[in-house]
Amino acid sequence: MAQNPDARGASHDLSVQLGPLRLKNPVMVASGTFGYGEEYADFLDLTALGAVVVKGISLAPRPGNPPPRLVETPAGMINAIGLENVGVDAFLQSKLPYLRDRQVPVIVNIFGNLLEEYAELAARLEGVPGIVALEINISCPNVKSGGMIFGTEPSMAARVVEAVRRATTLPLITKLTPNVTHIGEIAKAAVGAGSDMLSCINTVAAMAVDIFSRRPKLANVFGGLSGPAIKPIALRCTYEVLQAVDCPVIGIGGIANATDALEFLLLGARAVQVGTANFVHPAVTREIIEGMRRFLEVERLGGVEEYIGSLNRECLFPFAEIACEMTDLP
Amino acid sequence: MQKFLEEGRVLEQQEVARQTHRLRLEAPRMAGAARAGQFFMLQVREGMDPLLRRPFSFHRILPEEGIVEVLYRVVGKGTWWLSRCAPGTPLSLLGPLGNGFELPPIAAGPVVVVAGGIGIAPLQELIQQLLAKGGVGRPADIHLFYGARTGAEQLPENLLEDLGISVYRSTDDGSLGYGGFVTDLLRRVVQEKNLQPSQLYACGPLAMQYHVARWALEHKVPSQLSLESLMACGIGACLGCALPAAQADASSQDHYLHVCKDGPIFGAESIQWHKIQTHGAPPTIFLYS
Ligand SMILES: Cc1cc2nc3c(=O)[nH]c(=O)nc-3n(C[C@H](O)[C@H](O)[C@H](O)COP(=O)(O)OP(=O)(O)OC[C@H]3O[C@@H](n4cnc5c(N)ncnc54)[C@H](O)[C@@H]3O)c2cc1C
Ligand SMILES: Cc1cc2nc3c(=O)[nH]c(=O)nc-3n(C[C@H](O)[C@H](O)[C@H](O)COP(=O)(O)O)c2cc1C
Ligand code: FES
Repeated sequence: MAQNPDARGASHDLSVQLGPLRLKNPVMVASGTFGYGEEYADFLDLTALGAVVVKGISLAPRPGNPPPRLVETPAGMINAIGLENVGVDAFLQSKLPYLRDRQVPVIVNIFGNLLEEYAELAARLEGVPGIVALEINISCPNVKSGGMIFGTEPSMAARVVEAVRRATTLPLITKLTPNVTHIGEIAKAAVGAGSDMLSCINTVAAMAVDIFSRRPKLANVFGGLSGPAIKPIALRCTYEVLQAVDCPVIGIGGIANATDALEFLLLGARAVQVGTANFVHPAVTREIIEGMRRFLEVERLGGVEEYIGSLNRECLFPFAEIACEMTDLP
Repeated sequence: MQKFLEEGRVLEQQEVARQTHRLRLEAPRMAGAARAGQFFMLQVREGMDPLLRRPFSFHRILPEEGIVEVLYRVVGKGTWWLSRCAPGTPLSLLGPLGNGFELPPIAAGPVVVVAGGIGIAPLQELIQQLLAKGGVGRPADIHLFYGARTGAEQLPENLLEDLGISVYRSTDDGSLGYGGFVTDLLRRVVQEKNLQPSQLYACGPLAMQYHVARWALEHKVPSQLSLESLMACGIGACLGCALPAAQADASSQDHYLHVCKDGPIFGAESIQWHKIQTHGAPPTIFLYS
């Protein structure tokens, strides 16, 4: 391809089509790790992001779990925040306007303990300017069926998605939990019930204990592991989901640099979300976006779309190829 | 009150008391922006383990020299790595964060400062500010109550007594000053000297803060307590640094304050003390090699 230095932006195009959404680039920030956006405004230009997924919202405000809510583990952290949030009214009144005024595409992460709560939330967010999609967090306990997690059972996952689907015309992303035996089954159920896209993964169920006090390190005992430690799990889940369904998938889990992000795109994810890494480097997403652009330059790719899903399933080079190359050596 | 990232540089480190290091960092922008009682998040090492930044208070803020100082105790992996940073090591700072101390109005009267162990860290800068511009008549009107487990963990006289302030030391093992809890010493001295403090500042372990808070509430002394919590982000995004907030009334629902954005300085009345849970104080030894 001819190298035209003036057309640099155009020839290394980072924009992606994600279902019905056209994104500036495939890099979003993950729910619960970026507040409502404003928290990061001192560190980066929010408009540079593909989209911002805001902290999970419920109908009523939730105080969250008692502390300690966090513990660091090797290359990761476990959190049990307990979905603390301001509730949908306060979100619409005092949080959303900041992002909307800056024209940052907002994806609202929603959750509830009852099907009806999911549906009512979705209805409340329908037609609100600035919101481009909903992300359904199905990693919540269903209080009606004894606290079983919606997202761990295909039929329950489907019922949540159906309820939300009926309540809104907004594009729907279902966020999958890795804490299941067959993530592909949940993915199929969600898509069958009307989810336009999927995102994976949420945090990995985990625990930590203190040898001196002989107690769990989290007041909630269990929490969710995130950060670089979970990236291999997230890649495996993303791969399985992509094999199970034919819809746009957003890769999440342990992404801390452009290489990590490109790994998910290579599998076929059409976008990624960056979570825990924002805590360490508040401007990490800018570096990831820049790194992707450099990668396209070096690899002489016109756009990131060319790279998405280009994984060669054969694991290693066939020996014959290597042998041929070797014979070319002087 | 803009927050920013700054690439700082280690100038020197010194073990000034047992397991207690003073770190001088070249970070001119931070030194120009920080206030006493605020904190910053320091990346103690590149790489993934430890992954998260660690919160530290400003021990000294020296804008003319472009230097900030940290006083820290080695308690685990992060502080262990930090203690091994040689002069010249680049370290990333994120700050300044949190609300910081408020200085009393001019001529407000004597102030009481209570430090427990490494809690002396932010109080040193506070004392400097009180001396330089606070509303305290004479240096001796700053009454510092300084407790630790043992004398070897305390900062030496040249950093405190030599400032001309009134210092009362205590140790749990009686090796230096009053033998017993610093809060008991506080009760005694205030009564004996009939002190009428206009303001109380404190930083130290949770158990001490609890007793200080009770004392301040009992004696109706306005208080500013520097509190801690485990933190991931330091900027209000993760909601990990929660402390139970005092209830408006008994029927109201639990809700939480966040140390990084609502604090780290809180009035004794704003916390619901009996609801705080921790998994224990930092261990006195740690298994790490
Ligand atoms: C606003 C703020 C200001 C602080 N200022 C200072 C300071 O000036 N000097 C200083 O020495 N320390 C300060 N700390 C505490 C310091 O952040 C921790 O000691 C440090 O993060 C421990 O890291 P580590 O990796 O060495 O320990 P880890 O391996 O993470 O933990 C070792 C032990 O330390 C305990 N611990 C970890 N983090 C904290 C914490 N935030 N508070 C209390 N105990 C903790 C753990 O429970 C564990 O028992 C401050 C904390 C906060 C929130
Ligand atoms: C502190 C914290 C809070 C989170 N809150 C939410 C949330 O409210 N809703 C949600 O769907 N996911 C939440 N997550 C999960 C993240 O969005 C993401 O799926 C997960 O952290 C894995 O990505 P990472 O390894 O890049 O962090 C949270 C994660 C963390 C660390
Ligand atoms: S440390 Fe993340 S919100 Fe306070």
